[in-house]
Amino acid sequence: MERTELLIVGAGAAGISAACAAWDAGCRDVLLADRLPYAGGILPQCIHEGFGLSAFGSELTGPAYVERLAEGLAQRGVRFLPGKEVLAVTKEKTAVLSGKGGVEEIRFERLILATGSRERTVGSLSIAGTRPAGIFTAGQAQEMINLHHWRLGSQVVILGSGDMGMILARRFTLEGKQVLAVLEQDAHYGGLARNFHRCIEAYQIPIRYRCTVREIHGMPRITGVTVEALDNGKSEFLPCDTLVTAIGLVPERELIRGFEKEPWLSLAGNCSRVYELADSAAAEGAKVGRYVGKQLVK
Amino acid sequence: MKDLDVVVIGGGLLGCLAARNLCRWNLHIALLEAREDVCTGISRANTAIVYPGYDHKPGTLKSEMCVRANARFDALCQELDVPFSRCGSLMVSFGEKADAVLRKKYENGLLLGVPGLRMLSGEEARKMEPALAEGVSSALYAPTAGTVNPWELGIAACENATANGVELCLNTCVLGIGRTAKGYRIETDQEVFSCRAVVNCSGLSADSVQKLLFPTPVYIAPDAADYLILDKSAENKPAHIIQYEPEDGGKGFNAVPTVEGSLLLGPSERKNEVDFAVSKEGLSFVRERAARVLPGLNLQDTIRSFAAVRPNPQHPDGSSIGSYVIDNPDSGFWSLIGIKTPGLTCADELGRYVADRLAAELCAEERPGFDPHRVGIRRARDLPLSERVVLVQENAAYGEILCHCEGVTKAEILEAIRRGAVSVDGVKRRAGSGMGCCQGSRCERAVMELLAAELGVPVGAVRKDGPGSEILEGSHGKN
Repeated sequence: MERTELLIVGAGAAGISAACAAWDAGCRDVLLADRLPYAGGILPQCIHEGFGLSAFGSELTGPAYVERLAEGLAQRGVRFLPGKEVLAVTKEKTAVLSGKGGVEEIRFERLILATGSRERTVGSLSIAGTRPAGIFTAGQAQEMINLHHWRLGSQVVILGSGDMGMILARRFTLEGKQVLAVLEQDAHYGGLARNFHRCIEAYQIPIRYRCTVREIHGMPRITGVTVEALDNGKSEFLPCDTLVTAIGLVPERELIRGFEKEPWLSLAGNCSRVYELADSAAAEGAKVGRYVGKQLVK
Repeated sequence: MKDLDVVVIGGGLLGCLAARNLCRWNLHIALLEAREDVCTGISRANTAIVYPGYDHKPGTLKSEMCVRANARFDALCQELDVPFSRCGSLMVSFGEKADAVLRKKYENGLLLGVPGLRMLSGEEARKMEPALAEGVSSALYAPTAGTVNPWELGIAACENATANGVELCLNTCVLGIGRTAKGYRIETDQEVFSCRAVVNCSGLSADSVQKLLFPTPVYIAPDAADYLILDKSAENKPAHIIQYEPEDGGKGFNAVPTVEGSLLLGPSERKNEVDFAVSKEGLSFVRERAARVLPGLNLQDTIRSFAAVRPNPQHPDGSSIGSYVIDNPDSGFWSLIGIKTPGLTCADELGRYVADRLAAELCAEERPGFDPHRVGIRRARDLPLSERVVLVQENAAYGEILCHCEGVTKAEILEAIRRGAVSVDGVKRRAGSGMGCCQGSRCERAVMELLAAELGVPVGAVRKDGPGSEILEGSHGKN
């Protein structure tokens, strides 16, 4: 069985930073695995600017930010395994990796989980109505549009005004689509002020506060949603052909279910807690990587 | 014109199993399905329970069939290579009136020969199933109850039927049926079928299909129902099927630990609605029932809610009928109308019942080469590591995980498409992709690309499920 001192699962901002920091702390046996065939996790699809302000001192796009991170990775001797999904870990400190090239078991001394987060989906909201085509999560829509140039729809309603919701609202607008409304249950937008100014205000995208989607209409394709005002219960039918949900992120920890308390395990980045900025996730990744790296060198 | 011995109308679970049972006989059979895939109607959405059979009136066909069908279920699922969980059921009560109802069911079950039934006190029930609420006063335990994925069973039966020579005609809608010297003439929107016999398994349309040639003894008044699914990671899930008998005699409730590991909660009931849209009231009802019976569940673990429609059979005067309607208005014409609970349990028995009678009517001989075995799609996630290593060496696509929640590989998705999936949901029903907590949001794109490549269509033409459900903006999607 192959061995490694440090296995890092997930090569997003946190995972790459952890790998580099562990190396810099003196650990010379670092294996970084990611299920995607490239480094960066979600970042390559984040083609908007706003990354790296604190880490690199300038505002970069997601892909440019990954390039910087990847340069750091290439300068060190970290072994990077793209296209490898970690299927399982065991109490005996082994991990099963699966990819095109094969399935293998690897023994590790320490594990850093840097698997990021996943999106909450519309299914978790139990909204009344139909279950038609034309409903996407924000991350899914972003991947389809930015990495695959697919066209999702023309009349778009976005549920949730976090950063993802606002950035997607602008993205659809730039694609020539009409964003009918960004819906927010709170009385204030959910994301960063700069994203509100750059995405919502700058493009005059309608945002509605204190409201939510109560019912989905249309079958087999979505034809509209019932929007309910939370303060007075008034509802209104809003016709649309696309619904994008940006309703929050859940730390992705399925892999370590049952192992949370193991001394060989550390969490880094969004799988630990959801960060507002990739820089913060990267910084925490570096901190964890440095700490684990030092312990391994001792 | 296509010339056949038997035409089975309707590719739901019933039709697929009827066709498979007919394969035991030396007959030329076609299975007609109006939609682009099998098992997309009632079979796609229901409670998924294989009932022990203590509920029905002794002496009726239903009671007799249900107990027998339950006993045969392991063998059926083994032949068709479909997961079946005989997890047992606990029907629970919260007071004297419902206690008495359970005792009556228990006694009825004993009369019917349901194996292993036991009446438990509330305390005994909670010992067996710690997830149950404190207030449970008694429980009827039925160890033979189980659960199966209904669409998986139907698709497996269809695959086995076609492997045994049944001609599957999809996208074929029956428009008219006539009597001929030979038997029957079936007009469809595709072609005309001439046959000696007809088996009508057309679900929600079974009464209207019968009416194309004969009067119908019953009418279908569809009922809608709502369900919730909790993620497999949800805590305090019961290990048994939990059924709730309310003290006020109202609508009960089920919690079913599915073969996929999730927990199915429901149904609500909405009379006389043919509506696959989920109702707010129905969801509230299911949540309220779940909280009462299984208070430890966290309903925040919901990953999906959906609506189902059931064919509630009624007499022409609107009164409900008690048993199955297997109508044989003329020689060679059999209709299964209004087959509801326990329709999933009895589907194979019903198919066998009709097939045996038709074979006798047609003087058919047994088919010598009938092979009852179907092999399911090989699932990498079920294999021990050593076998998995070999599998990926043989086929690299078994190494690529596309559905991260359920661990479904590219090879399994390709095989699902090869076996007849033409939509994202068709792939889901065959490979299980998109069934987990992200509900397909992470694998849908990859599945769409594979469907486009394998079916030779632009990705913009890939559908969620059926015509008009294109996921991207019509034909504008990138090729």
